[in-house]
Amino acid sequence: MNKYNPPRMNPSSLRSRFATRFLRSLSKINAKKPTASSSSPTEIFRRYRRIKVAADKSMAYSVRSRRTWSRAMLWKLRTRPCCRRSVKTSTIVRKTRHEKQNKNTTTTTGEDGVVFGVEADELRELVPGGEAMDLYNLLDETAHYIKCLTTQVQVMKKIADFYSP
Amino acid sequence: MAEVLNRTATRQPTWNTSGFVTEMQSNELNCATEQVGNYFLNPNWDNSMDQSDPFESALSSMVSSPAASNVLPVSGENVMMRELIGKLGNICNSGDISPQFSIKPNTNTGSANASFNSTPLNSPPRLNLSMVNLPAAFSADPGFAERAARFSCFSGLNDPLMDSFKLSGNQSIKVDGSQSIKNSPMEANSPENAESGVSKEDSSVSQQIPARNDAGTRKRKSIPRGKAKEIPSPAAADAKVATENGESNSKRSKQDGSPGNGNEKQNKENSKPPEPPKDYIHVRARRGQATDSHSLAERVRREKISERMKFLQDLVPGCNKVTGKAVMLDEIINYVQSLQRQVEFLSMKLANVNPRTDINMEALLSKDMFQSRGSLLHGIYSMDSSAPTFPFGYQPQQGLHLNSGIPNATETQFSMKTQGFQLPSIDGFTDANPHVGSIWEDDLQSIVQMGFGQNQPQGYQGSIATGQVKIEL
Repeated sequence: MNKYNPPRMNPSSLRSRFATRFLRSLSKINAKKPTASSSSPTEIFRRYRRIKVAADKSMAYSVRSRRTWSRAMLWKLRTRPCCRRSVKTSTIVRKTRHEKQNKNTTTTTGEDGVVFGVEADELRELVPGGEAMDLYNLLDETAHYIKCLTTQVQVMKKIADFYSP
Repeated sequence: MAEVLNRTATRQPTWNTSGFVTEMQSNELNCATEQVGNYFLNPNWDNSMDQSDPFESALSSMVSSPAASNVLPVSGENVMMRELIGKLGNICNSGDISPQFSIKPNTNTGSANASFNSTPLNSPPRLNLSMVNLPAAFSADPGFAERAARFSCFSGLNDPLMDSFKLSGNQSIKVDGSQSIKNSPMEANSPENAESGVSKEDSSVSQQIPARNDAGTRKRKSIPRGKAKEIPSPAAADAKVATENGESNSKRSKQDGSPGNGNEKQNKENSKPPEPPKDYIHVRARRGQATDSHSLAERVRREKISERMKFLQDLVPGCNKVTGKAVMLDEIINYVQSLQRQVEFLSMKLANVNPRTDINMEALLSKDMFQSRGSLLHGIYSMDSSAPTFPFGYQPQQGLHLNSGIPNATETQFSMKTQGFQLPSIDGFTDANPHVGSIWEDDLQSIVQMGFGQNQPQGYQGSIATGQVKIEL
């Protein structure tokens, strides 16, 4: 073949959505930093934090509010100490709504908690927003969260590869 | 006593004409009366248990036709009828009656349930109170009082029946004039009046079973089933068993359908038409399992959760051989943790690598579009979890080496991708796995052939060196 035709990818898939968002934020972060002090560990660490937040945020935005974990993550990111200044009032409103949503889904895990016990609690800690869910919804959220995490890891790996092959 | 028998026999036809029982039932009643005579003369109530089974079906069929039993003859033969039906009730419940007669009030529930083996659709509370209120004077004729109580329960199907019974009870007081008879109906009536509200509900609920639950929901069905199961077990119990077993029997019957009278119960249930479809999820109680709504809902939940676990098993690699929910959950937790750590590591890596690059965003995006095969990298996620331990100062050095090669990298990567494999990242994703390392070296050679190494031999050597170092690690 003379011409290389790249395979068409679904533009609205989770992967492409996340990739575009993340790359955009990444370029913003890169544009912000001064090149001179880039090698200092603190600066690198700060950038690392920003990139990580950007990755999580872009993933959560790609999922929107369809999932409990994405909502929880977005809320968590919005109420971070450094972001508090601009989003105070709206955050409070969202927080109460979010709490209400969580409370609606809270059910006792009596019969199943006996079966799973500690592991369910560990899973709740891992999955954002998992504290207020019963086991069935928790497993549901975990499945979607795993899928999104794998997408995230794949895209970031490709980007990292691209930057430093 | 024999006179009573004769009177009941003669009263039979009038009873039938009053419409109280159907023909079949009257035949059964006739047979019953003959048997009753035997039992009536037999001071040993325990033996009556042996022949109680054939009459249980008779009584149950009688019970199951509430429509026919609307009218109770309210005339002079009420007393005889009461006695007759009391005797009939006694046949079926005889084994439990005599010990129950000395029950204390606080054990009423057990006794009530125990005495219902043949008349499962009757309401328990009535029997309780009537049993309680029987004075000690009845010890001379325990059977009669019990039969009277039985009849009150027996007629519990219909409220009109109940009312007429009360009426007949009052009349019997006048007829007999004996204190013993007087006491029982009066005292039986007052608590029955108090319990009428409850009994009405019970009778209506119990009527659902024979009348076929066309409108019954799952919950309502489970309640009569639960009650029905309570009833047969005591009948199977030994007659001499103390009353304290009555309560435990009624409780146990919920868990195990007792085989003795349980068969009869299940036959009745099997004869019912199948449930019509209803609005929400219906779970049929399996044989030998509890039927209360809590356990049913719990079972549905457990099934949903196991289905979810199976789905997760497909999602998490390497979980196919794992059996058991706890181990599966551990695997899932480990996988999620490793994924999160991978994200952290990658972001750290990006923070390091970024500084020197002015990468064309579009090229990057198109590169992402190309890469649909992340299988190689994806399959070694476990190794990536160990990547964060990789020396951190290592990477900037690579950046120095390879950044100059970046302008060529895009083209070479494009061409590489067309070959269908992906070059594992140099800095650290590959590992100690020799297999991957060998692939990587092959890729490098192909890169060299494509001209990547031509422009940047230095970078190539550097990358080779780092790659080798990596493999050692």
